Amino acid sequence: MRISSKTLQKKKRRRSGFQGKKHCRFCANDANASSLDYKNSYLLRSFITERGKILASRISGNCAGHQRQLASEIKNSRIMALLPYTAQ
Amino acid sequence: MLRYESLFITVPEITSDEAGSLEKTLSKAVTESKGSIISFERWGKYQLAYPIRRNDYGVYYLMRFEVGDDRKDEVLAELKKLYGVKYGELIMRSVVKSLPAKHSLEYKRPESLEEAPSKDIDTIMKESKNILRRDRGGDMFQDDNLD
Repeated sequence: MRISSKTLQKKKRRRSGFQGKKHCRFCANDANASSLDYKNSYLLRSFITERGKILASRISGNCAGHQRQLASEIKNSRIMALLPYTAQ
Repeated sequence: MLRYESLFITVPEITSDEAGSLEKTLSKAVTESKGSIISFERWGKYQLAYPIRRNDYGVYYLMRFEVGDDRKDEVLAELKKLYGVKYGELIMRSVVKSLPAKHSLEYKRPESLEEAPSKDIDTIMKESKNILRRDRGGDMFQDDNLD
């Protein structure tokens, strides 16, 4: 099977555009991990979308343990009306 | 001794007398069961993320307390009663959480409306002008597309 040079170039471009592995923000910094709390809505706001949905760890780069903790803190924060359930 | 914290939202129209009696009753409920209050803080007035009981604003309070292992159920049941029945009309929402023993008591909270710097009229006018300009730009862009 022949592959045209154009498609090869495209593939190369895609590879070069690939970012390195994302790292968990909470594992990297102890101060960040200790500030992960349902009261700290300012920090939690950076992990939800405009619609109010929780960002996937594949996008935010969090490790599985911290992602679980983050999700429960966001849900607690929503109960106390510090974060929205959905966009109004 | 076990540490707990309780965050609750009251109606925005709460008076200082009501807040005072609320603090007294809650601290009494804890101290009667041989517990002690670590702190009782008024966060201030906040805009809620969604309306609760048709209120867009609420006043947040954070109470932290210690209680013995044997009396914890008693205190938590008493607090639940106070939040739900006695102060049911004042307190819109509440939560009680246990704090880890070696956890530091420092925490971060969002800025309340009272703490936020008030905007002067010039900045409000500038912002509204910018929004208008952006809207007009958007309209022109749409017109170009139609052509």
